Parts: sequence; C-alpha cells; structure tokens
Amino acid sequence: MHVSPLSWIALTCAVVAAVIMIYYLIYRPPLNGRVKLLMMVAVGVLPIMTAMIGNLEGLQATEHQAFCGSCHTMDMHIADANDADSLSLAAIHSRTIKFGDKSCYVCHKDYGMFGYAMTKLGGMGHVYMFLSEFAWYDMEEALPKIHIARPFKNDNCMQCHSTTGRIWNGVADHNGLLEDLRTGTTSCASAGCHGYAHPFSKPDEETPSDAEAHSALSAPSPEGT
Amino acid sequence: MNPRAKIERFLDNASRSRLMVYACVLGLIGLVLMSWSLFDQGWIPVMMAMSVGQGIGTLSFALFLVIVIIDLRKAEFRPSITPMPPKPEDD
Ligand code: HEC
Ligand code: HEC
Ligand code: HEC
Repeated sequence: MHVSPLSWIALTCAVVAAVIMIYYLIYRPPLNGRVKLLMMVAVGVLPIMTAMIGNLEGLQATEHQAFCGSCHTMDMHIADANDADSLSLAAIHSRTIKFGDKSCYVCHKDYGMFGYAMTKLGGMGHVYMFLSEFAWYDMEEALPKIHIARPFKNDNCMQCHSTTGRIWNGVADHNGLLEDLRTGTTSCASAGCHGYAHPFSKPDEETPSDAEAHSALSAPSPEGT
Repeated sequence: MNPRAKIERFLDNASRSRLMVYACVLGLIGLVLMSWSLFDQGWIPVMMAMSVGQGIGTLSFALFLVIVIIDLRKAEFRPSITPMPPKPEDD
C-alpha cells in the first residue's frame, strides 16, 4: 500500500467536508446566506478537491503491481515476477529499480487498463472478462485461458534496449534480424530468442529450455567494450 | 402538464432543507467511496471511486445547486437605479 502526501490532503478535505455535512444533518440550521456558503464548501469545493486528487492517484494506482494483483487471475504472473530465484524475463527485470513496484506496467504499457480508458466502462474488457468468467476459475483453470491479446510490441523493450548499442549489435542474431526486431515482426520474447517473459504460463512444448533461451546471447567479448 | 411547468412547480414547492439533507447524505456516501480508493488501490475501490463515487458526489452538488436556484427564483431583483419616468416631450 502506498499513501502519498496528496492522498492525505484529499482525505483531510473529505473529513472536513464530512464533519460539516454531519453537523448540518444533526442541527439543521436554517439555510441562510452564511450556512449556504458553508454548505457550498462542504458539498462542492472540498469533495471536488478529493475527487481530483483521487483521479490522479487512481490513475497512478493502475501502474502498480498491487492493482494488477487485485485480480487473482494475475497472481501467478506476479508471484513469478517477484520470485528472487526466478530467471524469467519478467523476474529479472522486476528486480531492477526502474521496474520495481511498477514492473507489470513498464512492459505492458499498452494494456487496456491504464489511464482514462479504465474509467470508461466500455474499455474495461478485462473487468468484464473477469466478472463474467475468470472470477469463477481458480488460478490453475485460468492460466491456460489467458493469452496476450496483441503480439507483444518490441517497442516496449526498446524503451531501454535501444538496439543501437555496440554489444547489442555485436550479437549475430540481432544483426541478422535488425529490421524485423525494430518493426516487431520477430518478438524479442519468443521461444528461441530470449524466451517468454512468463515461461511458466506456457505449455511445456512451447517453453524454451534454459540453454535455448540463452543460446542467442553469445557473451560479448570484454575486449570489445 | 408540460415538463417545464412541472419543473417550475417543483422549484416553487420543494423543501430546501430536505434537499440539503439529501445532498449531505449523498455527499457522505460519495466521500466514503472516493476516500476508500486512497488507501486500498485494488481495481474495485479505484473503479468505484472514479465512477460511482464521483457520480454520487456530483449528484449531491447538483442538489445544492437546485437549492441555490430556488433561492434565486424567490429573490427580488430590484434595479438599483429607478428608471426615469418618461418625459412628455420624448414621444
Ligand atoms: C479485473 C481483474 C484484472 C485486473 C485488475 C488485471 N487483469 Fe489482466 N487479465 C484479467 C483477465 C480476466 C484476463 C484474461 C482475459 C483475456 O485473456 O483477454 C487478463 C489478461 C491479461 C493479459 C493478456 C491479455 C492481453 O490483454 O494482452 C495481460 C498482458 C494482462 N492481463 C496484464 C495485466 C496488467 C499489466 C494488469 C495491471 C494493470 C492487469 N492485467 C490487471 C483480469 C485482470
Ligand atoms: C520484461 C517485460 C515484462 C514484465 C516485467 C511483465 N511482463 Fe507480462 N508479458 C511480457 C511478454 C513479452 C508477454 C508475451 C508472452 C510471453 O512472452 O510470455 C507477456 C504476457 C503476459 C500475459 C499473457 C499471458 C501469458 O503468460 O503469456 C499476462 C497475463 C501478463 N504478461 C501479466 C503480467 C503481469 C501481471 C506482470 C507484473 C507482475 C507482468 N506481466 C510483467 C513481458 C513482461
Ligand atoms: C525499463 C527498462 C527496460 C525495459 C522496458 C526492458 N529491459 Fe531488459 N533489461 C533492463 C535492465 C536494466 C537490464 C539489466 C538487468 C540486470 O542486470 O539485473 C535488462 C536485462 C535484460 C536481459 C538480460 C537478462 C539476463 O539474463 O541477464 C535481457 C535478455 C533483456 N533485458 C531483454 C528484454 C526484453 C525482451 C524486453 C521486452 C520484453 C526488455 N528487456 C525490456 C532494462 C529494461
């Protein structure tokens, strides 16, 4: 749980507004000019402050693991990403500070649940899927049914791995596929390349062995750097 | 009765203090929903805050505005300068 200073301001506004409203409900003062001004603050100004800060915080909340994890359907992905012994791409990356608590968001920026799309119920395909179907499955049943909706965009990886570094370009497999990789025709996270980001979620025959996953990574020679 | 007349009758007869009570009750519910998401950032509280919570909060404020409109309708607006009586030579 993360409670920012802004949240405390929002909560203070909410509490002050609530106290005034409760005061009105108990004492029912006549609605003269002064009381109206007070009530304008209590049902108008203060709640609007709370709502605006709440929106900011709510949008930010969608970037955090705890948000994704609030559906059990995502549990195994999160458990693996946070497993200190796991060597999956998701786990390796989650251990760096840039990912940390936001690890799902950094790689899945294009997932339809971020930003204002989330408030539009129409855009909430996943909530719909969750309530209509997945809420009733336990994790074992759900896992084989969850698939990435669109091919994963390499752009997401290229935020950090620019594909222009010397070591990166020194890898034969990268070199040969440069165009395909930049346009996303070949996924970085595919079997035979770096392997799936969440290998546990794939049926055995699709999961690359450790050796396979790393064969593409010919260690760069130290002299070259 | 046409809708306009209906609204006017409502505005003439509605009890302001009762409207204010409704506004307060709705406001309290809205605030609870909006504050919940500040501390529990799962999808249910976050979604509730941004849809139901804010909807109810807006309704509460709208009720308050209705009270203001009722008062404005009852208020007498007198022009601060009394118009000059027409002079005979003007026409
Ligand atoms: C309301 C519950 C719920 C929440 C919260 C949730 N998910 Fe999901 N997610 C689901 C369900 C149900 C599916 C399977 C539906 C499907 O395959 O389209 C799914 C599928 C996915 C998929 C594969 C399908 C696709 O769209 O590519 C990804 C990736 C994903 N979730 C990532 C995330 C991330 C990242 C978050 C945090 C922002 C998150 N999920 C939060 C319920 C949820
Ligand atoms: C290193 C980047 C990366 C991180 C971090 C990451 N993912 Fe993924 N995710 C991927 C890629 C790439 C795919 C496409 C399929 C694959 O490679 O496994 C994917 C696929 C998925 C899917 C579709 C089902 C599947 O397993 O293929 C879900 C659900 C999902 N991710 C959820 C999450 C959640 C929840 C988190 C946060 C704990 C997360 N991901 C973190 C890169 C990442
Ligand atoms: C936010 C920046 C960022 C993004 C996005 C990102 N990476 Fe990385 N990646 C890193 C960092 C930092 C490391 C070094 C991690 C370490 O040494 O612990 C790394 C390491 C790696 C490694 C080496 C892992 C190992 O076994 O040592 C691979 C392979 C890799 N990334 C592939 C990918 C792929 C594929 C994607 C897209 C799904 C991706 N990265 C997205 C920052 C990023």
